[in-house]
Amino acid sequence: MLPGNTSDTVHQYFSYLVRHPAFLGALIGVLAAFSQALLISAGGPEAYGFCVACHTRDLVNGMTNIIAGTSLALAPISGNAVLPVMSVAGVLIGAYLSARMYREHRIKRGDLKDYAIYFLGGFIVLQLAMIFGGCPYRAALRTGYGDITALAFIITMAAGVIVGTLLMLRQAQKEDA
Amino acid sequence: MATGILPTGVAVYAVPLVTILLGILIGFLAQRSGYCSIGGFRDYVLFRHTRLLSGYLALIVASFFGYLLFWFLAPAAMEHFFWALTSDPMSPVPGAPGGLVPVAYLLISVITGFFVGFICVLLGGCPIRQTVMASEGNYKAGFFFLGMCLGSIIFAAYVSGWFTILMRSIGFGG
Repeated sequence: MLPGNTSDTVHQYFSYLVRHPAFLGALIGVLAAFSQALLISAGGPEAYGFCVACHTRDLVNGMTNIIAGTSLALAPISGNAVLPVMSVAGVLIGAYLSARMYREHRIKRGDLKDYAIYFLGGFIVLQLAMIFGGCPYRAALRTGYGDITALAFIITMAAGVIVGTLLMLRQAQKEDA
Repeated sequence: MATGILPTGVAVYAVPLVTILLGILIGFLAQRSGYCSIGGFRDYVLFRHTRLLSGYLALIVASFFGYLLFWFLAPAAMEHFFWALTSDPMSPVPGAPGGLVPVAYLLISVITGFFVGFICVLLGGCPIRQTVMASEGNYKAGFFFLGMCLGSIIFAAYVSGWFTILMRSIGFGG
């Protein structure tokens, strides 16, 4: 192979890797462990490196506590630190930058009924996730940490997804007929 | 109390900084790859596609090896690694409302897991996918995120307390 093509091959391989979900999954797993090793002195809980639902709770409640002087409950790591965990703000920024860079930013509007359903859906999913103590991502981290209840969560989550998918499939077939 | 690599005085300042950098990296790559845990199971059921599912399975496996690696490097930070062996095997890692009997946690995991999967697949994505789609300019996903924001305040102010009272009253208080 010519030297000029080698960098192209490396580039192609790298861009394939970056676009593959398994690469990101592996990266989140290792980085979550790294962030726990780095930051656990600030406070628990363990296996808390990355979680969309919990970190949204910490961000919203932590900032509300700072701005409005309330004392809403949050994880010790966010309560002890100068500012709560910022992962979710980071995800919003990172995804916006990526969408802008690759011209995938598209405004998609729905009607008022859609907004109400999604708002209610987000509200209910957060309640369920908080009662369990994590979204699907923290469940995965907890499973990696050796928590059996989190494994049970993932298994029944898969069952819930299968039931929901079959329901949607049946609905679609009914509309076709 | 577990001690990490950084001393407490530094860690309290490092928390927002490290987590926002981590979040930006994850958000960037999640937008590139369309990463979604619920979508992985859905695509497998519908089309037998394993692309997204491999992402979620890789997360579970990599988190185990990641914790194993840092358990070797900084054992004091991973006090309860191999949770099922170092503590009560049926108890969860803390983070949820505490003070219940172990069987209650298993029951909670099973029930909440089912409904999280069911609701998320009907709305077309797990929490991280909705957050990424909100950043891509999808208003519906944006409202999902706003629902999560309001939900977190309502949970801390009311639901958490009601839930504990409910569980105690049906005999699950530890």
